[in-house]
Amino acid sequence: MSAEETQTATLEKEEETQGTEKKEEALPIVRYRKVSKSFGENQVLKEVDFDLMPGERVAIIGPSGSGKTTLARLLMTLEKPTSGTIEVDGRQLWHKEVKGKLVEANEKHLHEVRGDIGMVFQHFNLFPHMTILRNLTEAPVKVLGLSKEEARERAMGMLEKVGLTDKAKAYPANLSGGQQQRVAIARALVMRPKVMLFDEPTSALDPETVGEVLDVIKEIAAEGEMAMMLITHEMSFARDVSDRVAFFDEGCIQEQGPPSKLFVQPESERLQSFLSRFNLGEENSQ
Amino acid sequence: MAWDWEFTINEVLPQLMEVVYITISATLVAYLVAMVWGLVLAFARRSQFRPLSVAAYWFVQFIRTTPPLVQLFFIFYVLPRYGIALTPFVAGVLGLGIHYSTFLSEVYRAGIESVPKGQWEAATALNFSPVQKWKTIILPQAIRPVIPVMGNYLIVMFKETPILSAITLVELLGKAQIIGSETFRYVEPITLVGIFFLIMSYGASLLFQRLEMRLDLSKK
Amino acid sequence: MVPIDVIAHIFDRLLPGAAVTVQLTVLSAILAFFLSFLGGFGRLSKFRIIRFVSAFLVEFFRGTSLLVQLFWLYFALPLLGLELPTGLVGILALGINYGAYGSEVVRSAILSIPQGQTEAGIALNMTPGQRMRLIILPQAFRTMLPSFGNLLIELLKGTALVSLITIPDMTFEAKSMRTNAEEYTLQIFGILLILYFIIGYPLSLLTRWAERRFSVGRS
Ligand SMILES: Nc1ncnc2c1ncn2[C@@H]1O[C@H](COP(=O)(O)OP(=O)(O)OP(=O)(O)O)[C@@H](O)[C@H]1O
Ligand SMILES: [Mg+2]
Repeated sequence: MSAEETQTATLEKEEETQGTEKKEEALPIVRYRKVSKSFGENQVLKEVDFDLMPGERVAIIGPSGSGKTTLARLLMTLEKPTSGTIEVDGRQLWHKEVKGKLVEANEKHLHEVRGDIGMVFQHFNLFPHMTILRNLTEAPVKVLGLSKEEARERAMGMLEKVGLTDKAKAYPANLSGGQQQRVAIARALVMRPKVMLFDEPTSALDPETVGEVLDVIKEIAAEGEMAMMLITHEMSFARDVSDRVAFFDEGCIQEQGPPSKLFVQPESERLQSFLSRFNLGEENSQ
Repeated sequence: MAWDWEFTINEVLPQLMEVVYITISATLVAYLVAMVWGLVLAFARRSQFRPLSVAAYWFVQFIRTTPPLVQLFFIFYVLPRYGIALTPFVAGVLGLGIHYSTFLSEVYRAGIESVPKGQWEAATALNFSPVQKWKTIILPQAIRPVIPVMGNYLIVMFKETPILSAITLVELLGKAQIIGSETFRYVEPITLVGIFFLIMSYGASLLFQRLEMRLDLSKK
Repeated sequence: MVPIDVIAHIFDRLLPGAAVTVQLTVLSAILAFFLSFLGGFGRLSKFRIIRFVSAFLVEFFRGTSLLVQLFWLYFALPLLGLELPTGLVGILALGINYGAYGSEVVRSAILSIPQGQTEAGIALNMTPGQRMRLIILPQAFRTMLPSFGNLLIELLKGTALVSLITIPDMTFEAKSMRTNAEEYTLQIFGILLILYFIIGYPLSLLTRWAERRFSVGRS
């Protein structure tokens, strides 16, 4: 059912965008199939089917505790699905194909596949013992095998994009929350992932710094190169930046579609009552 | 030389059992000394009278950075020369007690400092006398969070008691040495002493963990 | 009053012992440091059996009391057919005993690093080894330093015990000096204590500096 909806959503999106190159890549970059996740007795995800197309920007909204973070953490391999499969760019993430059978993936396999994914955390998780520049160059050098100069160049370019070149030598503790989160975004971007996950990137921030972070994300989204999964409670942001919005509740996607439809004519009662808690008109300013 | 069970059970064990009480009572008395003297040191450190607090500071620093074994020698061999002859037991519990009092004084200090400033102010606002203030407001709150650390020091001191054998106190290890030198069999007595310390200290730490959990629960 | 040359003489006689004490401290500290990490990692291993064995060994060496271990190696082990040089016995007992305490320091420091750090490492596709080396250990090490400092002072004090198995450290020299000069007992032990303090106090200042430097915020 939701696969069908994904399909229509994608079509609609493609009609909207003039770019035609996306049509040729018809295969989803991420594909959740019947993914379930339980923590003990508590079933958090219930047979979720979910696709993400290359370059597509999907906002995930939904009440607290509905399983949005868990959905993203499964893709980032921070959490293991109880059942179901996840494909990334045509490859199984949590499984390996051995003689036609799916067996559990080992660390080596995870390492190969998860290079396509990047993540920005709610609490930044910068490395406090490294300078900002080092935060950005460490993984490119050690994981991607870039030379120090290449990594530095890439990092400085990215710092420029997030407007923090002057902080290259500072330590995370000396930055404001908003600045730290911009660094965290840059740190994920230097790895050049095909898919970026944002888990409530602004909900740990002081209200006055939320805007600067959202602006950076909007800018990246406008480039349209990466697929993005944006978990957020900022409804106007979700509306402005996404090609598709998925409403998550009680462990599954209840409703999804283009923001123009979902926010204007929500079908399910659940979504209606969820949205009624946000005053979309007034949030426009952000 | 193989382990001799008959020797272990018929000779070593009964002889060691005879002196278990010395190890235990030395631990407890030394701990008492440490608790009381530690409190004195903690208050001396807080004193407004600078010479007293400075003296307490250096006393604590000096005692806690020098070996308890040497401190025991000092008490046991030096004091008699000035007319204060102490039995090995008394010298031992004094030495151990004073050594660990310097640690406990720091523990008390941490506890006292953990009492929020508002509590002091409330006590003043209610016009408690200094004694009342300490007795009813500060100490009860200061002691609770440091109980686990206090328990830990009891175990640490217990494991330190074998050094009292160096000033001729016949506690467990001293007895094991005597048995060894008489029979030329050291393996059984010393092993047994080790096992005894292992069981007692590990058992005590488990017990304290459970007590701590209880305390935590009753707090909520 | 005691003539100044008596004091000088005592100092002179104690100095070779002081060298032994320092040597013993350094060598067993190196062993203890190494064992701390071995034990600490062992207790965090993903293999149950390694966790169990390390936990058992750590509890064993913490629980059986240093002097008992020293005596066991010195008196009992030769009777079981293995006679080690006395100096080695001292280093082994001290190193293993304080290594067991140190492993707790390592373990809790590693556990104190927030889970988010590991997750950020995963998100950057670092291998488990890289996460440990580049992310966790550099941070954990700062937390370990003050505790290691305190343990080093404990170890220094612990070396005095080797005098009881005839290793000629400071304490041993003081005791043997005293048997021929009982009238100077006060001076001998007094100077001995001061010597320990001279070695130990800088360590304790360094430890407190590390505590202040690394506990409040980082920059
Ligand atoms: N590691 C875990 N262990 C046990 N339960 C967990 C764990 N992680 C998440 N949960 C539970 O799973 C459910 C969904 O959590 P999740 O964090 O995915 O929700 P969310 O939609 O992101 O909520 P929020 O908007 O508050 O971030 C919650 O009930 C949570 O308590
Ligand atoms: Mg969440």
